[in-house]
Amino acid sequence: MAGDAAAPVLRVRDLSVEFVTEEGVIRAVDRVSFDVQPNETLGIVGESGCGKTVTGLSILRLIPMPPGRIAGGSIELNGRDLVPLPDGEIEDIRGRDISMIFQEPMTALNPVFTIGSQMADVLCRHRDLTRRQARVVAAELLAKVNIPAPASRLDDYPHQLSGGMRQRVMIAMALSCNPQLLIADEPTTALDVTTQAQVLQQISALQAEFRMAVILVTHDLGVVAETCQRAVVMYCGSIVEAGDVASLFSQPRHPYTAGLLASIPRLRAERLAELPVIPGRVPDLLNLPAGCRFADRCPRVQERCRMERPTLAGTGTGGSLVACHYPL
Amino acid sequence: MSAVALPEIPPARARGESLWRKAARKFARDRLGMVALGVVLAYFVAAVGVWLGWWAMGWPDLTGTKWEAVSGTHWFGTNIIGQDIFDRAIYSTATAFEVGLIVALVATAIGAILGGFAGFFAGTWIDEVLVWLMGVLDAIPFYLFVAAVAYALTDNPWAMHVAMISTFWVGTGRLIRGEVIKLRGMEYVEAAHSIGVPEVVIIFRHILPNTSHILLVQASVMFVGAIKAEVILSFLGLGIKDGMSWGLMIDESTKEVLAGFYNNFLAASLLMFGLVMAFNAVADALQDALDPRKVG
Amino acid sequence: MEILQYALRKLLGGLPLIVGVTLVSFALMVYFGPDMTYLLLGKNPTPEQILEVRQQLGYDQPFLQRYLGFLREIVTLDFGVASTGEPVTALLAKTIPVSLILILPGFILGHVVGLLMALAAAYWRGRWLDKLIMAVAVTGMSISFLIVIIGFQIVLSSSDGLDLFPVRGWNSTSLGSYLTYVTVPTLATMFVALGYETRFYRSIIVEEMSRDHVRTARAFGLPESRIFFRNILKNCLIPIITRIMFSIPQVAIGGALLIESYFGIPGVGKATYEAIITGDQPVLKAVVSLTAILFVLVVVLTDILYRAVDPRVTIE
Repeated sequence: MAGDAAAPVLRVRDLSVEFVTEEGVIRAVDRVSFDVQPNETLGIVGESGCGKTVTGLSILRLIPMPPGRIAGGSIELNGRDLVPLPDGEIEDIRGRDISMIFQEPMTALNPVFTIGSQMADVLCRHRDLTRRQARVVAAELLAKVNIPAPASRLDDYPHQLSGGMRQRVMIAMALSCNPQLLIADEPTTALDVTTQAQVLQQISALQAEFRMAVILVTHDLGVVAETCQRAVVMYCGSIVEAGDVASLFSQPRHPYTAGLLASIPRLRAERLAELPVIPGRVPDLLNLPAGCRFADRCPRVQERCRMERPTLAGTGTGGSLVACHYPL
Repeated sequence: MSAVALPEIPPARARGESLWRKAARKFARDRLGMVALGVVLAYFVAAVGVWLGWWAMGWPDLTGTKWEAVSGTHWFGTNIIGQDIFDRAIYSTATAFEVGLIVALVATAIGAILGGFAGFFAGTWIDEVLVWLMGVLDAIPFYLFVAAVAYALTDNPWAMHVAMISTFWVGTGRLIRGEVIKLRGMEYVEAAHSIGVPEVVIIFRHILPNTSHILLVQASVMFVGAIKAEVILSFLGLGIKDGMSWGLMIDESTKEVLAGFYNNFLAASLLMFGLVMAFNAVADALQDALDPRKVG
Repeated sequence: MEILQYALRKLLGGLPLIVGVTLVSFALMVYFGPDMTYLLLGKNPTPEQILEVRQQLGYDQPFLQRYLGFLREIVTLDFGVASTGEPVTALLAKTIPVSLILILPGFILGHVVGLLMALAAAYWRGRWLDKLIMAVAVTGMSISFLIVIIGFQIVLSSSDGLDLFPVRGWNSTSLGSYLTYVTVPTLATMFVALGYETRFYRSIIVEEMSRDHVRTARAFGLPESRIFFRNILKNCLIPIITRIMFSIPQVAIGGALLIESYFGIPGVGKATYEAIITGDQPVLKAVVSLTAILFVLVVVLTDILYRAVDPRVTIE
C-alpha cells in the first residue's frame, strides 16, 4: 500500500474470513491487505456481498463465530495484532480504541433503553465515570453532533428520534472514548439524501477535531469521492484495486472499477443515454472460478484471465495497486 | 450527493432451486428427522393394517382371563376383563391417526381459508369479524367448548372432532393472516391486482400457495395436539364414544394401576409417547428445513 | 388517572369479545343444547306440565329474547341454582379459592423453571447443555398431561412407589396437610408446562440475541453477560408477559379441570367437570361467562403491563 512515512493506525495483512455453512465453507474475505493512516479516511467500496462489511466487522471480531471464523492474516492496531487476543481484551478495545457505527440507525439502538442510558453504558464501561458524570459527558457529546437541547434528549427513547438523529447519537457514542479509528459501515445508506450529506459532513468535521482515522464501508461511489482520501475496491471477497481517490476516479485501472464508474448517472450528462451496466452476475462464492473472479463479466477477458488468478500489484502510477493481468 | 447504488444482485444460490427441493434436501440430511419419520411411518403401517382389517380385529373379544401376564398369545398381557392389550393398543393407533389426520387436515384448511381472507381484507369489516371470531374462540376454555359442542350435537361421535377443529384452526388462521398481510404488499400481488385478476383468484392462486410451508408445519403441530387432546377428552368421557383409543385404555387403567397392574397403562402411554415424540421431531426437522433464514 | 381511563377504554373494547363468548356458549349450550324439559319433570308428565316447564325455561321465546335473558343473568351475577340445589354463586365462592391455591404453585414454578432452563440453553446455545435441555423439553412435550399425572401418582403416592403422599383427595386446613396434598398435582402441572415454556422462552431469547442492537452493544465493548441479562432480557419482557398472562385463563380452567377431577379435589375445575357430565347448565353458564370476563381482564392488564416495560407502547 501507499508508502507513507508515518506508521499506520491499522495494518491489515492477508485477512481471510470464512463461514461454515451446510453446503460448504464460504470464504467471504480472501487475503485482504490494507493500511489506514492517522487522520485519513479510507473507503472500502463494492457491491453487496463483496465482503466489505465482513471485513469491517471482523476488525472488531464482530462476525458471529461460529459459523464465521478468521481463517488467517493479521489485524494490527498500532502494531499490536488483534486476531489472537482473548475475548476480554478485544472487549476493552471495542468502543475505546476502535468504534463502529452501523447502517441501520433504526435498529442499531436498543429500543427499551433511553439514549442517555445507552451512552452512559459505554462511557462507564471504558472511562472511570459515575452514571451522573456520564450523563453530563453524554450531553456534551450530543451537543458536539449538533443535537438540539441535548440534555433533554438524554431521556428520550430511540423511537422518539428521526433516523438522522439516531445516527448522530450513534456517532456521539462512537466518539465517547476518543477512538483512534472509526469504522462506519454504510452509515448513510438508510437515510434520506439531505440527511446523508449532513451526517457525512459531521463525520468529516469530527474526524478533524478528534484526530481519528475513519474506514468508510460503502457501496456508494459518490460518498467515496466526497469523503475519502484513499479507497480499496472489493469484488468477490478480494481487493481488485486500491489507490488514492483522485487517481482511482480519473484513471481506473481495473475493468471492474471502470465499470462501476461508468454506471454512475451524471446530472449534467449531455444526453440521456442508457446507463451502461456491468453484464453478468457475481459468481457463487461456493463455486469460484479458477482464474480471475471478474473474468466472466469482463469486457477485456483473455485466455490467461480464466487460468491464472491475478495478484494485487503496483502499477507505477502514484502508488496504486491493481489485480488485473491486462489493466486499463 | 449522488445516491448511486451498484446493482444489487442476489447471490447465485438464492435463485434457481425451489424452497421445497431445498427443504427436502435439508430434511434428508437431518438424521434425527429421518429416523423419526421412519417411526411415524411404522405407526402409519400399523394403522393402515387396522383399516384394512388385517390385524387387531379381536380387540373387543374376551380372549383370556383377568390380568394375564405377557405371553406368546397375549404380547402385552390382558386387561381387567381379559381382553388382549396388544390388539387394543394397535387398534388405538388407527384411532389416533383418524383423529389426528381429520382434525389436522380440516383445521389447516379452515385456518388457511379464513386466515387468508382476513389477511387479504385487512382493514375492512371482513377482517374485523374474523379477528373477533378468533378472539372469541380463544377466550372459551377448550374443555368447556368441547362439552358445549357435545351438547349441541347431542352425543354425536364427531362432537370431539368438530370441537377440536373449531378451536385448532385459530392458531393457523392468525399465522396465515399475518403472512398474507405481508405478501399482499408484494409486487406480484399488486401486479395481479392492477391487471384485474379477481380477488378470490389472487388469494387462492397467488397468495395461499406461498404460505404452504407454514401450513405444513401447522398441520403437523395440530396432528400432535389432536392426539394429545383425544387422550384427555376420552378420559374425561368427552371423546371417543365407539371404538377404542389410548385415552380409553388409560381411563380403564386408572383402576388397575392402583391395584398394581401396569400393562394397560404402559402399553397405551408408551405407544402414544412414541408416536407423539417422533411426530414432534418430524415437525421440528420440517420447520428447520423450511426456515429460509437458516443458512443452507 | 391516565392509566385508569386507558383501562376503561380497553375494557369497553373487550365488550365485543364478551358478547361473542356468551353468544357462542348460549347458542351451543342452551339454544341448540339438549331439551331440559324432561330432566326437570318427574315420570309421566301431563301435556300441561310439559307446556308449563317449557314456558318457564323460555323455550317458546325467540332467540334474541332468550339470549338477552341469558345476558341479564350474567350482568346481575344471578346464575341461579345448581342441580345440587346449591346457589351457583355460593358454589363458585367455595371452589375458586381451592383451585387458586392448587394451581398457583405449579403455574409459577412451570414458568420460572422454564425461563431459567431457557436462559441456560440460550446462553450456551449450540453447546451440549443447550442440546440436553432441548431434548428434555421435547420429551416432556411428548408426554400427555394425563400420563404425567398417573406417572407421578404411581411413583410418589402408590405402595409400589415411594408412597410419600396421599393418592388423592384434598385438605388445606393446615399448611402441612396442604403441602402433602398439593405436591403431586404441583409437580405434574409444572412438568407438563416445562417443555413448552422452555422451548418458547428459548426461541424468543435466541431471536432477540440476533438483533442489531445486540451487535451495537458488543461493538461498544459491553461485556457479554451484561448484554445478555440486561439488554436482551428487557427486550424479551413483552413476549414473556404475553405468554404468562394469556396462559392464566387456560390453566385456570383447563389445568384445574383435569387435575381436580383426577385427584378428586373440590375446586372449580371439578365442579365444572361434574356440570359437564351431568349437564348442569347454570354452573356451565357461570363458568363460561366468568372465564370470558377473566380473558378480557387479562387482555386489558397485559396492555397496561406493556406500557410499563416498552416505551414504544403509548396511550393513543
